[in-house]
Amino acid sequence: MAAFIIRRLGFAVVTLLAVLTLVFVLVRIVPGDPAQVILGDQASRDAILAMRVRLGLDRPLWAQYVEFLSGAVQGNWGASMVTGRPVIEEVLRVLPWTIELTCASLLLGAVIGVPLGVWAAVRRNRLTDYIARIASLLGLSFPPFVSAILLLFGFAILVPLFPVISATTGSISAWWQAIALPAINLGLITAAYITRVTRSAMLEVLSEDYVRTARAKGVPWHVVIWRHALRNALIPIITVFGLYLSILIGNSVLTEIVFNRPGLGKLIVGALNQRDYTMLQGMMVIYTLIVVLVNLATDLAYAFVDPRIKLQ
Amino acid sequence: MIRRIVFPSAMVLLGLLWGASPVRAEKRILTVGMGSADAGKLDPHLTATTPDKGLLNWMFNGLVRIKPGQVSPEFIEPDIAESWTSNPAATEWTFKIRPGVQCHHGYGEFTSEDAAYSLRRAATKATSSFSSDFASFANVEALDKLTLKITLKNPIPGFLGYLVNYHGGNMVCKKAAEEMQENFSRKPIGTGPFEFNEYQPQQFVKLRANKQYFRGPPQLDEIVYRYIPSDSSRDLAFQSGELDLIYGRQEEIWVDRISKLPGVKVSTMELAEMSTLYLNTQSKPLDDIRVRQAIAYAIDRQSIVAFKGQSTSRPAVSVVPSGYLGTDEHAPLYPYDVEKAKRLLSEAGYPNGITIKAVHTTLTSMQKVIEAVQAQLKKANINLDVELVEHATFHQKIREDLSQVVHYQAARFPVADVYLTQFFHSRSQVKTPTAVTNFTHCNLADGEIDAARIETDAAKQKALWKTAQEKLIREVCGVPIYEQLQVWAWKDSLDLGYELKGSLNLSPPIIEKTRFTK
Repeated sequence: MAAFIIRRLGFAVVTLLAVLTLVFVLVRIVPGDPAQVILGDQASRDAILAMRVRLGLDRPLWAQYVEFLSGAVQGNWGASMVTGRPVIEEVLRVLPWTIELTCASLLLGAVIGVPLGVWAAVRRNRLTDYIARIASLLGLSFPPFVSAILLLFGFAILVPLFPVISATTGSISAWWQAIALPAINLGLITAAYITRVTRSAMLEVLSEDYVRTARAKGVPWHVVIWRHALRNALIPIITVFGLYLSILIGNSVLTEIVFNRPGLGKLIVGALNQRDYTMLQGMMVIYTLIVVLVNLATDLAYAFVDPRIKLQ
Repeated sequence: MIRRIVFPSAMVLLGLLWGASPVRAEKRILTVGMGSADAGKLDPHLTATTPDKGLLNWMFNGLVRIKPGQVSPEFIEPDIAESWTSNPAATEWTFKIRPGVQCHHGYGEFTSEDAAYSLRRAATKATSSFSSDFASFANVEALDKLTLKITLKNPIPGFLGYLVNYHGGNMVCKKAAEEMQENFSRKPIGTGPFEFNEYQPQQFVKLRANKQYFRGPPQLDEIVYRYIPSDSSRDLAFQSGELDLIYGRQEEIWVDRISKLPGVKVSTMELAEMSTLYLNTQSKPLDDIRVRQAIAYAIDRQSIVAFKGQSTSRPAVSVVPSGYLGTDEHAPLYPYDVEKAKRLLSEAGYPNGITIKAVHTTLTSMQKVIEAVQAQLKKANINLDVELVEHATFHQKIREDLSQVVHYQAARFPVADVYLTQFFHSRSQVKTPTAVTNFTHCNLADGEIDAARIETDAAKQKALWKTAQEKLIREVCGVPIYEQLQVWAWKDSLDLGYELKGSLNLSPPIIEKTRFTK
């Protein structure tokens, strides 16, 4: 197990280096000048050139690359070109918001999606199955920004239970009020996906011989489903979890914007719009690390739920 | 007995509680919703974006200011400087700094040294976006603690306009700026009614009252400036009472809807941003004046205004926005005449029409307009091939001279010279070292623009600007379309403390007198 983890972390370093190089090149290929963005549209070309010098963008690309890599190795990601604040500080200030929202929506997705998927599989081609399938299809097709606006209109305006600005902190009740609607918005979409995956995985497992044997031996039906079948159906569900965890971190941007929550998604979009090279590079380090660690955790989880899988 | 004691005591207690209840206390925190994802560089000499300028405006003073709620330089009044004089040639100006003005966060008294440092900083390319505005400044020196002398290379009509709390005219405190250097934008230090307190990324900037403000302590304790990029969320937060003042959508339908909410005031205010089509007069077929005239005749300004909404926009009147000092309010713009446009194209050798290219931003509000313009031009057999690119890319491409037609929307300091220089003087031509935003390659009004800048006779100066505008219109360097007013909404319990007609910084000034009435 330890050798497996060390080897995977080694691969992670190579992946990280490749991603950083790619990002470094890509952000500089895309048209748009950070100096222009900072100085605005009234700045003269002279002023823009002076700002480029100040930002170090006048130096050869290779020199910028070497400086960036040596800084990254030492944990120094520089300062945002636009705000002047340290990249690491900006990222760490919004990261907890993203982790909190992602975990809450995944938890909600699992709590709703897994039982619903199991239920739909057990009652295959019956009314409950149809309802679960239609509901999950709707959840997958509904644009998150539309559902977000509807949730806000319903529960912040018509029935004012929650605030529109979901970024309040302080007491537990303030936290709960801030997280509830965004988590429901993302959680329902996640639940829709998990429902479908759980249903199809369960359908496959339920047709296995050992399920029939267990039933023939008189094992109670709920034990067969929840202890035997579900455990064997967990591998695809865990895969979806891992995938969704990575996707949610980057894709929660629309939910963050509509609910006015800080987050990594908003930070990436802002940095891209402003051509904030240093911020984008720092964000990519974080995002790549998250994806690598989530994948590693997913692999470890496989071995945990299914002892037949050996980590080599 | 018990009843006699308990009942009156309970009533007294209830009365005390009612009196002390926060429900009855006057609200002293203003929450503002701005249509932006986050703060930019909070340095008044660097930032030119609407969200940042508005916020900084509440923290900084100029040597002089335009009376709150107004935009015209005719309303200039003392700010940090309490008086000023100039020599007869108007090349040497002496300002008396108001004694006792305090810099925020204990950075000491603001003196003429601070003022001199601030102007030098604003004139330096490396530290200012607006350095070119100060090109005519020969010297700035502090004569004594409260006396500042500015020497100009030549007289600048409307010189005081460069010293208002707008762009480079904002006064920063020397000690703080020198101490913090690059980090000044993380904790901007000025002398205004509100001082920087806290920043939370993607959430808000908090300002608190500057109790030592020289016009008296502000009546508000705090301003929470929230960054809310989604128009819908901002509206909903305003509707739910979480925001007191919001940046509005520049659409009539929005104004109509929000105006109907109870207890809400909506203002469409100056400065308007003028939307213009700038034509590259050196590219074929736009090098032929008849083609450019055809484009001018094919644009129906009234229809575009009807499309945008009468309450939030108005037709352009010249190549300089209306209301600016020196705008020719009755400039000879080409009228809408599609048949004449077609005839001119035929005369120019294009009976089957032409295709011209425009690189354009994907910003929704501007994209809608270019699509309307595209449809109008089509009627005159002019095919406008629009390449849509994201906003930062748009700015880079148009500055690389890659767009034959540039659709640009801008407001500037309301003096004709600024607009004419930035958009039509050869010095501002794109791809030159001094480039700003002359996308047209026109230089035919250089003489009048330069002459007007040093003309001290106001009537002659206006005549020169008028001639410049007539020339530029006649040669169709640009086709002005419409002017977009700024839209803000606030609770009617918020008393701004002045009558709002406009704001140089495009957001309502929050001053020491701004307060909630309930």
